[in-house]
Order: sequence, then C-alpha cells, then structure tokens
Amino acid sequence: MDRVLKDDAVEEKGERARMASFIGAMAIADLVKTTLGPKGMDKILQSTGRGRNVTVTNDGATILKSLHIDNPAAKVLVDISKVQDDEVGDGTTSVVVLAGELLREAEKLVNMKIHPMTIIAGYRMAVECARNALLQRTMDNKENTDKFRSDLMNIAMTTLSSKILSQDKEYFAELAVDAVLRLKGSTNLEAIQILKKPGGSLKDSFLDEGFILDKKIGIGQPKRIENAKILVANTAMDTDKVKIYGARVRVDSMAKVAEIEAAEKQKMREKVQKIIGHGINCFVNRQLIYNFPEELFADAGILAIEHADFEGIERLALVTGGDIASTFDNPESVKLGHCKVIEEIMIGEDKLIHFSGVEMGQACTIVLRGASEHVLDEAERSLHDALCVLSQTVNDTRVVFGGGWPEMVMAKEVDELARKTPGKKSHAIDAFSRALQAIPTIIADNAGLDSAELISQLRAEHHKENSTAGIDVITGSVGDMQKRGISESFKVKQAILLSATEAAEMILRVDEIITCAPRRREDRM
Amino acid sequence: MAASSAPAPAAAAPRKGETYTDTKRRDDVRGANIAAARAVADAVRTSLGPRGMDKMIASGDQAHEVIITNDGATILSRMSLLQPAARMLAELSRSQDAAAGDGTTTVVVLAGSLLRRAQSLLSAGAHPTAAADALHRLATRAVEVLHGMAIPIELSDRDSLVKSASTALNSKVVSQYSSLLSPLAVDAALSVVDPAHPDLLDLRDIRIVKKLGGTLDDTELVRGLIFDKKVSHAAGGPTRVENAKIAVIQFQVSPPKTDIEQSVIVSDYAQMDRILREERNYILGMVKKIKAAGCNVLLIQKSILRDAVTDLSLHYLAKAKILVVKDVERDEIEFVTKTLNCLPIANIEHFRADKLGHADLVEEVSVGEGKVVKITGIRDMGRTATILVRGSNQLVIDEADRSLHDALCVIRCLVNKRFMIAGGGAPEIEMSMQLASWAKELQGMESYCIKEFADALEVIPYTLAENAGLNPIAIVTELRNRHAKGEKNAGINVRKGQITNILEENVVQPLLVSTSAITLACECVRMILKIDDIVTVR
Repeated sequence: MDRVLKDDAVEEKGERARMASFIGAMAIADLVKTTLGPKGMDKILQSTGRGRNVTVTNDGATILKSLHIDNPAAKVLVDISKVQDDEVGDGTTSVVVLAGELLREAEKLVNMKIHPMTIIAGYRMAVECARNALLQRTMDNKENTDKFRSDLMNIAMTTLSSKILSQDKEYFAELAVDAVLRLKGSTNLEAIQILKKPGGSLKDSFLDEGFILDKKIGIGQPKRIENAKILVANTAMDTDKVKIYGARVRVDSMAKVAEIEAAEKQKMREKVQKIIGHGINCFVNRQLIYNFPEELFADAGILAIEHADFEGIERLALVTGGDIASTFDNPESVKLGHCKVIEEIMIGEDKLIHFSGVEMGQACTIVLRGASEHVLDEAERSLHDALCVLSQTVNDTRVVFGGGWPEMVMAKEVDELARKTPGKKSHAIDAFSRALQAIPTIIADNAGLDSAELISQLRAEHHKENSTAGIDVITGSVGDMQKRGISESFKVKQAILLSATEAAEMILRVDEIITCAPRRREDRM
Repeated sequence: MAASSAPAPAAAAPRKGETYTDTKRRDDVRGANIAAARAVADAVRTSLGPRGMDKMIASGDQAHEVIITNDGATILSRMSLLQPAARMLAELSRSQDAAAGDGTTTVVVLAGSLLRRAQSLLSAGAHPTAAADALHRLATRAVEVLHGMAIPIELSDRDSLVKSASTALNSKVVSQYSSLLSPLAVDAALSVVDPAHPDLLDLRDIRIVKKLGGTLDDTELVRGLIFDKKVSHAAGGPTRVENAKIAVIQFQVSPPKTDIEQSVIVSDYAQMDRILREERNYILGMVKKIKAAGCNVLLIQKSILRDAVTDLSLHYLAKAKILVVKDVERDEIEFVTKTLNCLPIANIEHFRADKLGHADLVEEVSVGEGKVVKITGIRDMGRTATILVRGSNQLVIDEADRSLHDALCVIRCLVNKRFMIAGGGAPEIEMSMQLASWAKELQGMESYCIKEFADALEVIPYTLAENAGLNPIAIVTELRNRHAKGEKNAGINVRKGQITNILEENVVQPLLVSTSAITLACECVRMILKIDDIVTVR
C-alpha cells in the first residue's frame, strides 16, 4: 500500500492514539497533584538555560507553563491551566487535576467497551447537573458590606493558605482585600503595583497608598515636593540628532566647532526651557537625562527622574492621570499628572521615590519583603492569585464553601442523576461523580491524612440536607466549613468545572494523532 | 472516628486500611535536597566564632584569583553551587547579609542543623508540612525569648557600641586590630546618622578607600574626602592648596566636540596655525572663566566620549594655579557633592562661585607606594565619612574591608533596633532550653517536632566550643546547667576556655542579628522541607 503521508510523518490510530493522550494527560495531572491544597508541596523548577535559575513554586500555572512537553494531550491541559490563570487567576492546579481524573475514569469506561461519545454525553449531563447543584447552594452577601468584606477575607485566606504566605495569611488577606476594595469594582489589576525588596521578613510587607518608583532623584534637586505637577516623558535628553546615516558638518575652523557645540547646548537648553514651560515641578523621563539638562532642572528647582523603566512609566502615567509626552511644543495639549507629595523614602537599604495622593485614588502599592528572591517571587505569585480571585469576586459576589465542600455537593447531585438515568450514559455520570470526589481525596492525601476514611465520613455528612461539612486539613478531620471560614469564589469553581470537562471531552474525542514531518532545513553547503 | 477525634495531624498515626501512595521518589528528592544543603552548611561550619578558621578560595577562571576569608556570605557567594537546595542556602546567607550584615555563618550553620533534625523527624514518619508548621511556631517563640534577654542601649553610649562592633570583628582575620577598627567603625557610623532620622543609617554614606602599603595600624578615619588617584600635574600644577575653593565639573576642559559628526577641512598651511591658535584661545577662555569664579581645585568627572583634560588645558590650569583631579566616576559624584556641600557644574556657562565647595586644605599625600588626594577641613561638611584602609597585602586589605563592613552593619542594626544581646552562644542555649520546656506543654506531633528543633539550636555553642579546641560536650552540658540555674547570660568564653558571664567579658551583639538569623534560617528550612520534586524546565 502506498503511503498517504510524507516520509517522516507518524500516524497513530484508534486504541494507541487514545492511550497516548490518556497517559500524557494523566502524567501531567499527577505531576501537579501534590501541590494541591493547604498542605500541598512545592516544586523546584530548575532551568536548563544559562545560569540554571531555580524557582520554588506551588503555583500550578507556573509549573505547567515552564515544562518541556511533547505529548499533544498534555499540551491541552497546560493550555487550560493557562486560560484559567488568565480568566480567574486561581484554581490552576485544580482544573488540571480534575481533567486528569475525568480522563482516568474515562479510560476505565473505554476499557469496558463503552463508546467515547457515550461517555461524553454522560459527562455533559453530569456537568450541567453539577453546575446547577452548585448554583443553588451559593451564598451572596452583596448587600451587606461588612459581611461581604468578611467573605472576601475568607476567600483570600483560603487562596493563600495553599501558598507560601499561609503562615501570615490573615495579614496578607487583609492587604489583598484592602488593595482590591480600593479598586472599587474595576478588575484593572495594573493599578496595584507589587514591589519586591529582599530583606526583612514577610511580615514586614505593607500596603502603601500611592505609587513607588524604584529610582533615584537627580543630584542637587529637591527631595520632597508638595502638590506636584508631573510630566511623564519618553524623550532623548542628550541632543536631538539628525538620524540620517553619514550626515556630517564640514567646517574649516575650531571656532566653528565650538559654535556648533554651543548650538547643540543651546538646543538642549531650549528643550529644557520648553519642558519647564509646562509649569511642572517634577519631570520623569524614560531615557537618560544627561548631566547638562539635569543641572538645568536642578537650577529650576525641578525634580527630574531619569531612566525609569517602561512599566514604571506607563503605570505612573496611569495613576497620576498624565500622558506620556515626547514633544513639548504645545504645553496646552499635554495632560500633566498630579499628586500631593513626592518624597524619597527608604525601604531596607534602598532609596525609592514615593508618590502619594495620586489622581487615580484606586492605585496602591504592595511592598513585599522577604528573606530571598525565591520567597519574594513565590509570594508575588501567591498574592497575585489572591488579588485576581478577589477582584473577580467583587464583580461576581457569589461565594461557595471550600475544603472539598463544592465537590461533594456536586457529586451527590450527580449520583442522584446517575440513578435516574437509564442506559450506558449512567456509567459515565457515575464516573464523573467519582472524579469530583477525587479532589477532596487528593487534598487529604497531600496532608498525610487517611483519605479513604475521611471521604466516606464526608459523604455520609453530605447525605444530610444542607450540610456544610468539608475537610479540615489543620485538625485532620471533617469539619464545618462555615465555622472555619473557608470560602471560595463561585466563579473560580465554575470555571474549573467547565473547562476541565471541556478539556477532557476534547481529549476523549481523539482517535488519531498525526505527527507532521518536520520541515526540512535546506542544505546550504 | 479516630481521625476526627484526634486533633493532632494524623500523619504520625498509623494508617488504617489500605492506602497506597508511591512516595519513594518524593523522599528521594527531599533527602537529596537536605543532604546537599547540609553539605554546604558543613563546609562553612568551621569558620564560626572567634577561633573559627579561614577558607582560601581560588576562583576557577583564568585569573586564579585567591581570597582568604571567614565571612560566611563571601565564602558561599564564591562557591559555584549547582544543586538548587544548596543554592538556597547560599541565598540565605546573602539575605542575612542584607538584613543584618553579620551572622552570615551562624544562619547557615543553624539551617544545616535544623535540616538534620528535620531529616530524622521525616524518617520517624512526620509529615513535612507538620514539621514546617512547627518550625514556624518555633521561630515566633524563639524571637520572644530573644526579646526577653535583650538589653536596651542608647546611641550616646559609645562604649557599648564599640563592644558590639569588636564582637563582630573578633571572629575575623583582623581580630587583633579590633581595638583599633571598632572605635573607628563606631565613629564613622555615628557621624553619618542624620539627627532628623535618628533610626536610619545609610551605609552608602561611608566610603572605604583601600590602599596597599603600611599595616592595618595605619588605617584611619578621615574627616573629609579621599580620592584614590594622583593629582594631574603633568604640566607642573600645584599639589597642595590651602583655603581651597572646589568645583565639581561634569564638562571637559578640552577642544570642543559636537554630537553631530563633523570634520574640519584644512586647505592650506596658514589655516593650520589658525586652528591651533583657536584651540588655545578656546581652552584659555574656559580656564579664565574657571579662575574668575575663584576656583582653585577642580574635580573632573570621567568622560568616555572625549578627553577630560588635555596636556594643553593642564598646562593652562597649572599656570592658573588650579589643582586638578580627573576621572571622578559618575556614581561618586553624588557622594562627593554631598560631602563638599557643593553642586555639580555641567556647563562652563554655569560656573559660578555659589556652586563651589570650600575646604581648608587639599593636598596630595604619599601613602605607601601610591599617592592619594586628601581634602580636609571642609566647611559645612555633609554627613559622610571616609575610612582609609591600609595593609601589607591585598588579601589582608580585602578582608579588612569585609570585616569593617560587618562591623558597620552591626552598628546599623543597633541604630535600627536599639537592643543588644549577649554573645558566645548564650542566646542559643537559652532559646533551646526555653523552647524545649515549652514543647512539653504542647501535644502531639507539634510537641515532638519542636523538641527536636529546640535541640538543634545547640549546634551554635557546640560548634563554637569545637572550633576553639574545647571539649564541646563538656562545654555544652555545663552551659545547659548554668542556664538551668537561671544564669541567662552565661556563655562560652573562648579566650579563657570556660563558661563565664559573657556580658562581663563585653561580648555582645545586636538583637537584630540573632532574631533575623533564627527567622531566616527557619524560613529557609521550611521552604526546603516543602519541596517534593525537582522539575527540569526550559
């Protein structure tokens, strides 16, 4: 028989293809499984690149996105975790683990000769049922500000409890809730700046209203300005050069050279005069400000900050409400930024510039302190997760309990459904319920608890109406989630459920994997 | 219902029924991490304490540079470590360096000892997170114990400051000079504390200039400025100026150069003469302006684009009796202007008398083989200090520099947090005792873990004694005995080789060093414990 495909292309069919994708997906799920839950473990990510950088993390999305992956099904799981991260910011591990469990159950069913399409149909019914079950049990405290705040605190603490910040979770939950409430409903996390400074301990981290720029003030310039008018610019402050290659000036005497130099200086002086003409007392430039203009600014009593990084500039423009200018001919058309006080502050060993009372009242800075870069990076990731979840919750105020409670509630309803459904589909629905229960099982296993015992107890508890029981990992028993204050955002849970099912469905449908022939490099010899 | 009734983590409890989890690989990774981290800790262990040994580090690259040091942070930063957990320990000592500046060896030794106990706890069946949580509680409690032992101090109490600085210096190569270096460090530090912010001390305001030649005895604190360069007197300019008016300039005294490319076209010989004349006039004009402002000392910023000075300009400046120091680095400008209380001048047009700084004397002094420029008697001097370190070879000078840095950091800790604590292993043994008795009040796994970790703290006095050639077991047991009798400040007196009240021996250190050592070490160990896998990534 003639080959249909190119020489190097590989084709895997039917059973083998399905097997390959199941195995790949489950391997990925097993890899991140141990990081789940408050007693989950961390991983060291060792880079093979230059410097062999080391990252210590417990964040599913971070682990997954840095992996080398060859298996197409595994890539699908990495993608859903990435999407989960972008959409809601948390639950990146859960979504992968749930998808892995769904596939594990599906594999058993396929071995029982149940057609993948039947499984998919069953899963679809189950997910609909599970979502509705969860929806009915959500709580909404939108009206009551105090209660809503305590909801937010609970969510933040639950999110943080699985991260490095767990020991100081109350402190950081407070920080995160304060920061998010300042945003007043917008999900623009850009206004929250996270600044990392090694040294001190995590407890020394603090929330600061305003904006902090990690730069120095020029020599001989005021170190403190009140009622600042800020011009944010991205412009060259040496000389405006003619950008045509080979342009040169021919002169026939030294005096002329001196004249040109003087003219260049004069041009710079005019530029500075124009900038000063905006009526500002603070000038922030993304590029270098050379000695000469710096002195001119100092003479005019203007605070000039040079070489601010790109992100810093954009954020500064955002929070002070100014534009980033690069020409200075029309002072009227340039919007200046404003803030109440600019001053130099010291954090640890470093001097930083602090802008307080900025135009955009939502803005704030969280300064993280910690023992080492590793701790700080991980703390930033954790805090970012918490901030994402909180800002989502502010918009969608529905809340559910945590600690395996939502999974058990869903599993119970799905079980009911399985009993009512005739036909082979009921096997799939049953399997879905088992996959849901795997999440609390893993949480218990990671904490070194006897999962089989705990889950059976939990299931018995949930057989009662309106139970609020979940796994209390701290005491190692089944506890009342309401009393423990363990909550999660409904939006996150829903996203986990839906995208994990979708991913599982997608992988399940696969019956052929075609690996394309790599494109030949042309021989240039 | 056993699991729900027992409040302790069930990790230690035997599992009921069949639970199968493959944990072999995880234990392997954790074990490998702990082993690697302990190996690092063991490497620096012998350099702890006043009788600690030094390490010679030869760099692997072409230069084969050699350093001799006993500063933990320096040793670890120079070791080329690959294993991730080992690198975490190196970073730990760097954090301690940033936070407190001293105790960089202590923190690593402490972490190593805690890890050893952690390993035995794990093999006894403790869950890593249970051990990690216990460690966190231990750290919080240990800090309380330390606070209980602390002695408040005033900044005006110079003697106490000198004492703690010399404790930091005693473990260094330069320990025999501690009586000279510690008052020096204290004076330097105190002279830069701004009365407006009494609890801030910016070490960047203290500059250490190293100069080969002489011995460490010649090290001095200079009230003024020192430049490690010669005066530019190629054309016979002055090398000593009294009643100096000093200008810091950021422009160049040399023929003009434009940013746009230019070329001077010479078509006949007469033009050549004219150009030379013009060049002379141009420079002469600049020098005249400088002279007109009354300036007689010129500090010129280094320039990469063009010559800062030429032979010609030096000649004119010499004629005008102006002392010239060239190639001042750009990042030094702020320090220099702050010290001289003047403003940098970026353009000849702005050369005005009000931007100048004043000093009684600027002179070139021979120091050993080389020469330095010294500026003294500065009027309205800013809050800065300069220390001139001398030594017979580069290795000693470098080590003296590192030791001085440690001593300055100690003072900075005391400025930040005005408490002192006894040294000589006294705080560690006290913590160990109090934590062990606290562990008895607790229940379950936590109690067991804390008991183990409390014992781990004894590694510090043990190592101190061992390094001093004493019998560690006899010393540690006696120390325990004395502390049990309530002598909180009993510590190891290394000089006498026995246990004494360490406060009477003036061995004291800042509280911040001890507290940050224990919290940082615990944080690092917790992190290592929680790792169960090493994943290779892009």
